[in-house]
Amino acid sequence: MTHFPSRRTIIGTASAVALLALTACGNVAGGSADSSKYPSGPVNLTVGQAPGGSTDLIARAISEGASKTLGTPMPVVNKPGANGALATKEVAGKPADGQNLLLINASLITITPLAVSADEAVNIDDLDIIAGLSQDDYVLVASEKSGFKSIKDVTAAGRNITFGTTGVGTGSQLAQTVLFKQANVKGTDVPFDSGKPALTAVLGNQVELATIQLGEAMPQIKAGKVAPLLVFSEDRNTFLPDTPTAKESGYDVPVAQYRAVAAPKGTPKEVKDKLLAAFQETFKSDAYKQFNEKNMLTPKEISGEEVVTQWKEYAAKYKGLIEKYSISLSGTK
Amino acid sequence: MDFLNPVINGFAVVLEPMNLLYCLIGVVIGMLIGVLPGLGPAATIAILLPLTYNVEPVTAIIMLAGIFYGAQYGGTITSVLLKLPGEASSVVTVFDGYQMAKQGKAGTALGLAAIGSFIGGTASIIGLTFLAPLVASFALDFGPAEYSALALLGILLVATISSGSKTKALIAAAIGLLLATVGRDVFTGESRFTFGSLELADGIDFVPIAMGIFGLGEILYNLEERHRAAKAPSTVSNVWPSRGDLKQASGAIGRGSVLGFFLGILPGGGATIASMASYAMEKKRAKQPERFGKGAPEGVAGPETANNAAATSSFIPLLTLGIPANATMALMFGALLIQGVTPGPQLVDENPDLFWGVVNSMYIGNILLLIMSLPLVGIFVKILRVRAAILAPVTALITLLGAYTINNSMFDVTLVVVFGIVGYVMKKFGFEPGPLVLAFVLGSLLESSLRRSLLVFNGDPLGFFSRPISATLLIVFVLVAVLPGIRSMLAKRKGSSLEETAPVQLKEKV
Repeated sequence: MTHFPSRRTIIGTASAVALLALTACGNVAGGSADSSKYPSGPVNLTVGQAPGGSTDLIARAISEGASKTLGTPMPVVNKPGANGALATKEVAGKPADGQNLLLINASLITITPLAVSADEAVNIDDLDIIAGLSQDDYVLVASEKSGFKSIKDVTAAGRNITFGTTGVGTGSQLAQTVLFKQANVKGTDVPFDSGKPALTAVLGNQVELATIQLGEAMPQIKAGKVAPLLVFSEDRNTFLPDTPTAKESGYDVPVAQYRAVAAPKGTPKEVKDKLLAAFQETFKSDAYKQFNEKNMLTPKEISGEEVVTQWKEYAAKYKGLIEKYSISLSGTK
Repeated sequence: MDFLNPVINGFAVVLEPMNLLYCLIGVVIGMLIGVLPGLGPAATIAILLPLTYNVEPVTAIIMLAGIFYGAQYGGTITSVLLKLPGEASSVVTVFDGYQMAKQGKAGTALGLAAIGSFIGGTASIIGLTFLAPLVASFALDFGPAEYSALALLGILLVATISSGSKTKALIAAAIGLLLATVGRDVFTGESRFTFGSLELADGIDFVPIAMGIFGLGEILYNLEERHRAAKAPSTVSNVWPSRGDLKQASGAIGRGSVLGFFLGILPGGGATIASMASYAMEKKRAKQPERFGKGAPEGVAGPETANNAAATSSFIPLLTLGIPANATMALMFGALLIQGVTPGPQLVDENPDLFWGVVNSMYIGNILLLIMSLPLVGIFVKILRVRAAILAPVTALITLLGAYTINNSMFDVTLVVVFGIVGYVMKKFGFEPGPLVLAFVLGSLLESSLRRSLLVFNGDPLGFFSRPISATLLIVFVLVAVLPGIRSMLAKRKGSSLEETAPVQLKEKV
């Protein structure tokens, strides 16, 4: 029976070593409070959309560049739900140490609150915006059978027109409903789940018009299967230089999707500076520039403060437009 | 032949080493679970769904498809050797297969089943190859109206052609439809049945429901079953059937292929129904029906051919229309959605590599199965000795871990547990889980398509009849709705021959 206590000693020693190792790890993790040592381990970039969509792709392009500069992995974590509100609320509740970031869509702040109940809405003041990323433009396309070649054809048609949107509370819906009101055209709003089914419905002549993101519409525009009538950006889009803007055609409805990287409120300035530097380094890289070009994204690499001001302006503008034309985005007219 | 180019490219996709490997893994897993009476292909696919998350979509579906048709091969082995059907679709094989084994012709029975399965499977793939582009040419004509009609027809068929009690199937389907209404209303942004939970704002995800009901529910239910100890299997020799046997069975294989192909396409149909229908048909056609149940080769070859043909052809409605025809296909649908691919008429044109890669992988998979199934019989039978006490906790753990990884969400894990209990209780009280899950999938499609079409038609329901495809589908819907009445009238005139399958313990698995 002499070996029995000795085995116990071994187990005891082993657990002591394990404990030591655990406390050592704890010390490293605890060091994150000292922002000069940032980053202390992988930086999670949460996305409120499913993998494979444009928001997810942008997150992956950004994380690839920034992880090199930061010298630490930046895994993309998809947490889809409620247009991204679920992911936003989760990241906003994390410790403000820069280890958890969020890729946020402007529409969540500027448009979604117009369509959903207050407790589902997200407040931009719960976050620190680190950097703006890019602008994703919406284009109004017409089906072949509709015969529309320009917005004038639509306004002159003098009948009820069906238009597909990418869903309730999206820029696509806001842009078209406001446009129709301003142009005094009667239309039926047909919501689809995303851009792709809306485009398919235009291709199959189930709806006459639809507003979708440029990257999705471009292959069919180039193939001549759908006609681009106008873009909703303030300036003409470089990828579609011959298509007029809504503004040029006399309509005041500037809608686009913007994206930015955010951190929980109260993240130390040194941490934010370090992250910003890493993102700016990414913006300069050829790989990222090519990514933007391939996906028809216009760079809008502005500071976090500018993002907050602009998004708040858009939110106020859209709210004003909706009230002015007494539009309800939730279809209950 | 422009049409053949993507088909040939599809072979290039399959022959990539990674895809070949996953095809092999898929069919081996399929055969294994085919042998195990506890787990069916739907449960296995539900459990393994999250594991496919990190591979290419085409690779993932190749593997999952392999599990499905591989199980049809595996289920035969235990039916013949041990009188223990590994799969519901191999239940009828027991009648003549086990008798053949008792007469020392186990090898012949297995050989016939393997050859029949191969021919049936291959015939269905060829059918799929030519039918899919035809359906795809109508792709753009499929609008909201057509999808509403299709979903309506699908739900009706699923609820009426299931193998258990019709009332219970209808109840399960109704619950599935109710569950589909949870979440934000796509047309008004209003929250329905979310109780203020942001997690429910987009509705209940399909994958946790399937993993819970099929995966966990099945595991829990199987714990109740006391498995019979595996007897020593009969010796297997002469796996190549004699010319006489082949001649006797060739007609059954031919008829089984055609019957299985059509029953597989039908929503609510599938491998189990195909195998039973084939057995009934062979018996009816035979000159000496009394040979059946005493080791008739046709009684093995026919059903085994038909179940494989049906397993393959049930991919047709999924890959060409985006409508899952049975529970396993509903899981394939989920797998595609996880990968960001929405199956539908556009799939062939937009994702030719995926489509033809998956279709062509089935040729390869069937050849692999034919090669493997016979020499490896002994090994597969040993699997039966794995005790449920080990198998159940391991599979339950994999299910829960997997559920977490999809959306990094503990809420999903809770859902799996809740639906696991629901699935267990349903099985316990004789409710088929298939109609619930299918109605759930088709329910959201039905609701959004119906409302979308009414918007397009300006609220006029007669609009559905102004479009040729939706009008045709709705007429079929009416026909199917009145068909049971006509059938029961016919059945009263002739005695039903299917009833004799009842004595065998029919534990339906999905």
